[in-house]
Parts: sequence; C-alpha cells; structure tokens
Amino acid sequence: MNKPMIDRRAFLATTGAFTLSFAVPARAQQTGAPAAPWTAYLTIDADGKVAMLSPTTEMGQGTHTAHAAIIADEIGVPLSWVSVDTALPSDPFRRGGAMGSGGSAGVRAWWGALRSVGANARASLIAAAAGKAGVPAAEITLDEGRFLRAGKPLAVTLGEAATLAAGKPVVEGTPKDPASYRYVGKATPRVDVPAKVRGEPVFSQDFTRPGMVYACAVLSPVFGGDADSWDDKATLAVKGVEQVVKIPGGAAVVAKSQWSAMKGAAQLKVRWKSTAIDGLSSDAISAAMHRGLGKDAEAIVGKVEGDTAAALAGAARTFEADYEAPYLAHAPMEPWSITVEPTADGGLEIWGPFQTQDRNRNTAARTAGIDPSKVTLHTLMLGGGYGRRLGDDGTPAAVVTALAVKKPVQFFWRREDEIGQGWYRPAQVARLKAGVDASGKVTALHIRTAGPSMRDSFAPGGLKQGELDGSSVQTLTDTRYRTGAYRVDWVRVDQAVPMAPWRAVGATQNGYFMEAFVDELAAFLKKDPVALRRELLAHDPRALKVIDEAAKAGDWGKPLKKGHARGFAYVESYGSLCAQVVAISLEDGGVVKIHKAICVLDCARVVTPDGARNQVEGGMIQGLSTALFEGIEISGGRATNTNFDGYRILRMNESPHAVETVFIENGETIGGVGEPPVPPATPALVNALFALTGKPIRKLPISATLAE
Amino acid sequence: MTTITLNGQSVTVTSEPDTPLLWVLREEFDLKGAKYGCGIAQCGACTVHVGGQAVRSCVIAIGDLDGQSVTTIESFDGQHAVQKAWIDAQVPQCGFCQPGQIMSAAALLTENAAPSDEDIDAAMAGNICRCGTYPRIRAAIKAAAKA
Repeated sequence: MNKPMIDRRAFLATTGAFTLSFAVPARAQQTGAPAAPWTAYLTIDADGKVAMLSPTTEMGQGTHTAHAAIIADEIGVPLSWVSVDTALPSDPFRRGGAMGSGGSAGVRAWWGALRSVGANARASLIAAAAGKAGVPAAEITLDEGRFLRAGKPLAVTLGEAATLAAGKPVVEGTPKDPASYRYVGKATPRVDVPAKVRGEPVFSQDFTRPGMVYACAVLSPVFGGDADSWDDKATLAVKGVEQVVKIPGGAAVVAKSQWSAMKGAAQLKVRWKSTAIDGLSSDAISAAMHRGLGKDAEAIVGKVEGDTAAALAGAARTFEADYEAPYLAHAPMEPWSITVEPTADGGLEIWGPFQTQDRNRNTAARTAGIDPSKVTLHTLMLGGGYGRRLGDDGTPAAVVTALAVKKPVQFFWRREDEIGQGWYRPAQVARLKAGVDASGKVTALHIRTAGPSMRDSFAPGGLKQGELDGSSVQTLTDTRYRTGAYRVDWVRVDQAVPMAPWRAVGATQNGYFMEAFVDELAAFLKKDPVALRRELLAHDPRALKVIDEAAKAGDWGKPLKKGHARGFAYVESYGSLCAQVVAISLEDGGVVKIHKAICVLDCARVVTPDGARNQVEGGMIQGLSTALFEGIEISGGRATNTNFDGYRILRMNESPHAVETVFIENGETIGGVGEPPVPPATPALVNALFALTGKPIRKLPISATLAE
Repeated sequence: MTTITLNGQSVTVTSEPDTPLLWVLREEFDLKGAKYGCGIAQCGACTVHVGGQAVRSCVIAIGDLDGQSVTTIESFDGQHAVQKAWIDAQVPQCGFCQPGQIMSAAALLTENAAPSDEDIDAAMAGNICRCGTYPRIRAAIKAAAKA
C-alpha cells in the first residue's frame, strides 16, 4: 500500500525485463519559465508484470490510478498487472533541477507520453511474440495480457515476449483510438482506496524506525521569531521526556513517545525574542494593501490592451469596486511530521510527506553540512497537501534534532503549528473599474491588485523589485473576456507572513475579484449575470458552451422559492474552463445554506471519470469552505486562529448534499482537474448572496462580512 | 492499572492514567488507524467507539475508561458494511480522516438503521474532511443503511 520510493538503478536492474525510457515534454507554465522534460521508465518483466517508475507523488488525487489505466489500455493488459511507483530523487526525474508534483500536471502533462510509450511497448511485445510463434506481427493483437491471432491465443506469454523484446530495438507503435479503451474514461476504481478504508496506510505520523524517539516542536508563534531562553524544569519532569533541543525557530522536546513529547512541550516555558513584526495585525496588513491600490507609480503591468485610461475617461458611465481576500491556511488533516535517521556513514535517511523531494533533500543536506548524495529521502503517503507540502520549512529543525540526539527521530508539529506557522495563500486586494458606452456595452476594464509576492516568499529572492509575480494576476492576464481596452497591474505590498502556492494558487483570489465584479457590473447595467458573461465571451464558442451547459444544469433563470437565490461564476485555470452554479438560502441567524452545487468542467478529456468527479466535488467544497469561513487572523505578529475551533472549515452539515458534475470533452489540449474546480466556487456563492440580499460581498470570508 | 476490553479482548493498560485514549491505542497497542489531527476534539480524525458510541479519543483520559469496551477500525477488518459502502462509493481522497469518518458512520448506523439527512448531519458534523468528500460520505452511509 504505502510503497517505498524506488531507486532507479534497482528498478532498471530487473533481470531480463523489457525496459523503455520516455520523456514527458515540458509545457508552458502559468507562472515561471518553461522547464526541461521529465523522464520515466516502463518495464515488463519475465512474469508479465508491468511497472512504471515516475516522479509524480500520489496524495489522494488519483494520479497513479490514471497512469496505470492509460498504460494498461495502450499495452492491452489487465489493470491489476500494472504498478506505478514514485522514484527516489535522481536526475532523470528532475526538471528545473528538482523533482516535485503540482500544477494539476499529473495527468494532463503525461497523457500523450504514456499513450506513446504504451503503444511502443505493445508493438515491441507483439513483434517478439509473433517472431517466436512464426506468424506475421500484423495479425496479432494483445488483449487483456494475451496475444491473439484470429481470436485464438498464441502459445507465448507476455513475460516470454518481454524477455525476447529486451534484447531488440523498440518497435514504434501507434496509440489506440481512446474510444477502444477499457479503463480510461470508465469507472475505474482507485488502487489506493481499499487500504485507506481499512485504516492501513502508513502516513508520516504512523511511521516508525527501530529505536526512534519523538520530538515535539515548540515554535515561535510570531512569524520568523525565535526562542531567547526557556525554563524546562517541568518539561524534564514529564515521564518519557529525554531532553530539550534548540532548533531554528524555537525548541524541540524529545521523548520516548509522541504523547510524552506533547505533554512535555505543553510544560515548556519559553521567552521569545522580540521581532520587528511583534505589532503586525490583519488590520495593518489590510490597510497597507488598500493604500497600495492608489500607488499608480508602483504598479507593475501584467497585461495591456488598448488605452484603458482614455477609454475610461471617455466612457458614458463607469463602475468601480474594491475587494479583499485573506490569507488562507491549507489545513491538511495530517499535521506535518518527518522522520530523520542519522546513518553510519555520516548521512541521513528521511521519510516524510513531500511534494518537493529535492528541495527537502537539499535543505536537509545543507543543514547537516553534508553532500545531498548522502541524503536518502523517501516520500510517504500525504494526509492532504493542497500545496502545503511544497515547502521545506520544518526540515532544518528536524535535521538539527536528529543530529543532536544521534538516533532516529520523528519530528512533528502540533495542529497549532500546522496552521500557525504560515506558508499561506496570500492575502490580496483588488480594484476593478469598468467603463461602458451609452448602449451599455463594456468598453474598458482596469484591474489593479495589491498584495505580497507569494513567489518571493516561497522561494526567497525569487522575485526582484519591479518584476511581476504571475500569481498576483493569475487568470486575469489570460481571461477570455473581451472588455474593449483592458489593463491588469499589480502593486507589491510585502509582509513578513510566509506564503506558498495554495490549491489553484492565484486563481482563487483573482477568480473571486473578477467574478464578483462581473455580477455587480451586471446589476449596475441591469443585465442578467449570465447574459453579461455571454456578451463578454461572444467571440469564443468553447467558453460559451461551458457557460451555457452550466446555466442549463443549474436551472439558470427558472423560478426559485422565496428566500432562495442562485449564483454563477466562470474561471479558467490550469488549461480547463470551469463554470459553476450554487443555489442557496439564508437561514435564521445569517446561516448560509447551500442547496445545490453544479460544476461544468471543460478539461477536454477525462481519463478516470470517477476520480475526476471526486476531485471536482472536493475542489468545489474546498472553495465554498474558504468563501464562507476561512481566513487567518493576525494579531501581535502571529496567527491567532490556529486550530479548527478558530480556523473554521466547512463540515458535513454545511456542505451541499451533492455536487452535480458535467464534463465537457473535445479535441482541445487536455486540461487539469485537481485545481480548476476550486476558483469559481467562492464567487458563485458570493454572487448568490448578492442576488439574494442586494448587498455585495467585497471582503472574504463571507461569515465575517455578514456579521458586520 | 486500567483494564479495558479492546476490540473484544481484555487488556491491561500500562500508560499513565492521564494519557488520552488516542495515544494509548497508537503507542501502547500499535493501533494506528485513529489519527492525531487537532488534539482538541474538533476534527474527528481520532474517532473510535467506547461502549458503542463514537468518541474523540484525543481528549478522553485512559484512566476514566476502566472496565469500558473500546472498538477501533482495525476490528472491522474491511468487512463492515460501512467499509464496503465506502469502497463502492470511492469515498477517500487523501484518506487521513477516513478511519474517523467510518467509525462515526458505523456508530450512527448501529443506533439508527435508516438515518435521515438531518441525522447524518448531526452524527457526522464532528468529522472534518479537508479533501471535501462529504457528498460521497453521505451517499455511502445511505447505501450502507440499505445493505
């Protein structure tokens, strides 16, 4: 179940196996420079087992099931014969010098390459089988692992053919018509589900090593702070506690068990060093960002089409609104931990929930002062990621602890650290100003966003002053809406609050800004919100189809019960077009009840429909959760809502009972599935509330705005 | 010394009496299906049964459980109707919260063979799923009720 990462050399050393290596080409990134290709390996051994080794991490998004399905279909073997493993970091699996998973790339980037390598494997195996049987290869098919000639099986097994093919050049094959696939596009069950339902997978907190101790982090609640001194008398009196170790950012309480470590940590009295941000608050951050909106001279251009200033000056009427989105925690259900073991040769062996293997490996090596080649890093199953496990912020302290105690250590954060230590989705504000002509046609739109640079926080020094952080204008610079003159710019307002990509990244806050504004603009123009979107997309049949399908599935325009309303939103991200409708009512005490949730996703092709549907449902619910409740509150330089009593997440009783999902497939380039359903959910809900109450929601979360 | 019936067997617990049940299960008995998620009974990842009721094991001291019967997901062995329904509905994504979800659902169905949506809301509101699998959990509970 929780398979260890596989060493490439060992993987390729299987005797007699037929092996193909293949490259997954780079594709344009939404932010940042294009990257080098990935390499992956496919082998078929003498027992007929098909194995793939790739750099993708499985974190519940179903990527490995999708990869196995494509390979099984192309070669023509039962799905159960195919395994997919994650490789230990090594050069063939890196791009841009690093191995990692993200960008909803797990299937869309791999689709073409997996079909080709599967087709080549099939052609090579058939050639080998035909050669052994002395029959023409053109008459042979490979079906569910058997070689057939005129419907009759040949006396050659897949494993025999693989052994024969191993010594010969690869035969080029042609990928099948996807319509003939058995697993792709069908209700293929996920390979990781049965064990998860039995509670068997070994997540990072379940992992153990012989002689291992536990270390509970006690970290500065102020971002970037550190311990000055501490009193550990009560801590050391706790049964099982062995020692307290100084770590970057605070202390680690080392004990025989996790519970002893936590109990000891609760007793540690730490005096924290004062910092430059001890007075930082949400209000101050908000005020600074809003001031940024007025700083024309500092605005960094994301996109310019025509002369927006002139078009706005000459408009018959203008409409303007400001919006604000808060910092968001990823809040995976698993609080972070990793296990670090010093090895006899002076190296380190590490196990943990990684989305960026090389970043963590290099950080561990740097901390220990050793060469990265002496660090072996294994990826365990992730108890949720959503971008939080792209970081390496806990790794140095874990390595320091292991080197201090000189034995295997499971170093862990409590929930309060998981939420309170940052690496958030950025807070951001926006001002949108539209001009319309006398007929009510939109002739100009200027969008200015202001906020911190996520990229520079996530990779310090990654963005020079004056450069554009693509995530701060993501989805705004490449919108399909045509508004006449169009300008997008961003004013950088940095804060000492750590940030990281958060599922769908800049598309979440920017999708909210744009889509909430479109509904307010529609009301200003006395137009139907869907009709206005159709006007702005009149030139684009693909987008119109997504809009129309969502309107149809969501009963747009049909009568509603009194006190009920619908909201609509459309956001394109990660290569997929997504429109959503939510139907709501407002119950006693201002409780928002979500009655219906509709998602139409044009990702061009769906590889594992049920897995994709699960991603859509979860993505939309995560978006609704952020809209209603989520936002990090900062006071005294620290997050003040760091557990689920304060950082509220949508629960069963608050969730829509179903998310109706409609996929649109076409001949366009395959798009992402894991992220695109998240961004439209927030504005769809916001727009439903606007329709219901006539009051716009210009600051998230909704619960805070409604309470005002 | 505290004695409990753990998954049908009488066991004597050696952990300190103030140790929460969750860490007794995970660290003394190596039953790791129940997870640490929040430590304050807010997320439900640690849910197990005590006397057939779903409880948050992260806040119940073992010393208070003398003579009680504790049931964990390991005792279900994949054969429980709820687990089968979970597979049919392909509920999990990351999977971390799912043992807790399953234990809450199993306790609900023992008490109420045909739960309404409101019953499901009430029984499951204490279990957070960050991946957002709630619609599938609801569907699986209804399917298990019919099984």
